[in-house]
Amino acid sequence: MRVNPSLTSRLRIAFVVLLLLLGAVSFLGVGRLFQIRVNYEDDLTRYFQVEVQSERLRSAFILEQAAARPATPHQKPNPAALNQAAKSFSDGVARAQDLIGDNADLTNRLNRLVASETGWRTSVGAPLVRGEVPGPGVERRLTAAVTASAESLATGARDSQDDARSKARRDTRNTMYLVIVGLLGAVVAVMILFFGLINSMRAPLERLVQGARRLAGGNLKTRVEVGGPVEIAALGTAFNDMADSLERDARERDRVEQMKDDFVLTVSHELRTPVTVVKGFAEMLTEQRRSLNARQYEAAEVIAESAGQLQKMINDLLDLARSDAGKLRIESRPTSVRSLAQRIGRQMRPHFEEREQRLTVSVEKNLPEVEADPDRIGQVLANLLTNANKYSPEGASVRLAASRVGDEIEFAVTDDGPGLGADELDHVFERFWRAESGETQSVGGTGLGLAIAKSLVELHGGAISANSTPGEGATFRFVLPIAKDGRRAPQRTARRTKKAGVAR
Amino acid sequence: MTRLLVADDSETVLLMLQRRLEMEGYEVVTAKDGFEALERLEEAGSDEPDLILLDAMMPNKSGTEVLEELRDSGSTIPVLMISAHLDAQAPDRMLSLGATDCMPKPFEWDELIGKIEKLAG
Repeated sequence: MRVNPSLTSRLRIAFVVLLLLLGAVSFLGVGRLFQIRVNYEDDLTRYFQVEVQSERLRSAFILEQAAARPATPHQKPNPAALNQAAKSFSDGVARAQDLIGDNADLTNRLNRLVASETGWRTSVGAPLVRGEVPGPGVERRLTAAVTASAESLATGARDSQDDARSKARRDTRNTMYLVIVGLLGAVVAVMILFFGLINSMRAPLERLVQGARRLAGGNLKTRVEVGGPVEIAALGTAFNDMADSLERDARERDRVEQMKDDFVLTVSHELRTPVTVVKGFAEMLTEQRRSLNARQYEAAEVIAESAGQLQKMINDLLDLARSDAGKLRIESRPTSVRSLAQRIGRQMRPHFEEREQRLTVSVEKNLPEVEADPDRIGQVLANLLTNANKYSPEGASVRLAASRVGDEIEFAVTDDGPGLGADELDHVFERFWRAESGETQSVGGTGLGLAIAKSLVELHGGAISANSTPGEGATFRFVLPIAKDGRRAPQRTARRTKKAGVAR
Repeated sequence: MTRLLVADDSETVLLMLQRRLEMEGYEVVTAKDGFEALERLEEAGSDEPDLILLDAMMPNKSGTEVLEELRDSGSTIPVLMISAHLDAQAPDRMLSLGATDCMPKPFEWDELIGKIEKLAG
C-alpha cells in the first residue's frame, strides 16, 4: 500500500526535520568549538610549563656544575650537593615527561637533554667529585651540549605553543565551514520536503479547479481524479460526490419535467378528438334550427361555442407544451411584412366588426422581408389582436403597425382598453394570468394567448414587451430580425396604410 | 351526387364527419383505417369516389401509405390529406407524395367545406 501522509503530518514532519537538523548542527558546532578552545588552552598551558621546566632543568644543571666544580679554588666538590641537584634534575625530567605526553618532538628533545646530562655527569661530574680532572675539551663540549639541549627544549616548547595556536585556528575555521554546510544541508532538505508537498498538491488542486469550472459551465458529467495528500484527496472525493448529487438531481428534474410535458401533450392530444366531435355535432345541430325549439337551439349554440373555446384552449396548451418540450418547430423564411399584417387584419376583421371597433393596419413603406414562420407570427399577431379586441370597449380603435427599427422589424398592437398598471405588466405574459379590472371581468379567452405569443416570438429569436399607462390603453411590441437574403417590399404595392373593419 | 370516401381512425369523428357531410349533400363512404379505405376503393371499382379525405395518422395502414399506394398504382383521384396541426413540415411532405391538398387538424368546418367543394366540385 502506498503511504499517503496527510497535509498536516507532512507539514509537521518538515518542521520537525528542520528543527532537528538545525539543532543537531548547532549543538555539534558549538560543542566542537568549545572542545577546540579547551584543547587549545590545555596545550598552551602544558607547553608553557614545559618551557618553565626546561628553565628548571637548566637551573638544576647549573647547580650540578657548581657542586662538581666550586666557584673558588679552595672549595672542594660537594658530592651531596651534586646528588641533590641531580635528583632535582631527574624530578624535572619526570615532570616534563608528564607534561609532554605524546608530543614526539618534545620527547626527542627531552631525551637528548637527559642523554647529554647523563653524559656530562658520567664523564665530567663524577670524575670531578672523585678529584680527577676530565679532559679540557671534554668538559667544555659536554657542558655546551647540555646547555644547547635545554635551550632546544625551551625552543621546542615555544614552537609547540605556536603550533597549538595555529591548529586551534585551523580547527575553528573548519568547524565553521562544517556548520555552514550543515545549515545549508538542513535548508535544502526542508526545501525538498516542501517542494515535494507543494508538487503533490498542485496537480490535484489544478484538476479540482478545472473540474469546478466545467461543472459551473453546466457539464454535470464532470468528475475529477482523486489524488494528492489525504485532505486534497478528500476534497476530490467530496467534489465527485457533489457532482453525483447534482447530476442525479438534474436527471430527476429532467425526468419529472419530461413526464409533465408528456402528460400535457398526451392529455391535450387525447382531449382533442372528443372535443372535435362534440363541436362538430353541436354545430350540426345549430344548422338544423328549424327542427329545434328555441331552448334546444340555445343549448346547441352554447355547446358549440364552449366546445370551440375548449378546442382553442387545448390547442394553446399543446402549443405551450410542445414549446416547453422543445418540440415546437418553426419554419422561418423571408416573409413579407405587409402581406402578413394584411392577411391577419382580414382574418381578424369580423371580431372587430362584431364589437364595432375600428382596426387600422399600418405598415411602413419599403420594409424589407422579415425572417419568420408566417403561420406562427400570424398566430402571434392574431393573439395580440384578440387581446386588444377583448380588452377594448365597443367602438374603440385598435392599431396594428409595423416599422423598421435598426436591423429589426417592430410590430406593435395598440389598444384603447383600460390599460395595465406597472405590477400587472410584470405578469401579463404569464400563463392563465388575466387583468382584473372591473370592466374586463367578463372577458373570455384561455389566458394563454400572450404566453404563447411570447414563446413563439422568442423561438424566432425576437423579444416581446408591453407598455401601458392605466386609463390610456396598452401597446404590445415585438421585434424580429430582418431576413438576410430577403427582398425589399415592391415599391408599387407599398401604400402608406390600409384600413380594415368598421361596419356599423 | 358527389361521392366522398372518408378515412379516420376515430369512430366518433368518422360518424360526425359522415353526418355533417351528408347534411351538406354529399354521399359518404367511411373507412376506419388505411386497409378499409383501399377495400372500399376496390369494391367501388370503376365507380370511384370524387374525393378521398385521408387522415395522415392511422393505425395498421396510415393515410400517407394509402396515398403512396394510390399514386403508385396510377390513380388520379383527388386526395385531401388531414394532418396534425403542429407538424409544420407535413403539408409540404403530403403535397410531394401526391396529395391534392392538405388540411391541418383541428379545422374550422367552413374551411373544410370550402376545400371539399373546390376539389370535388
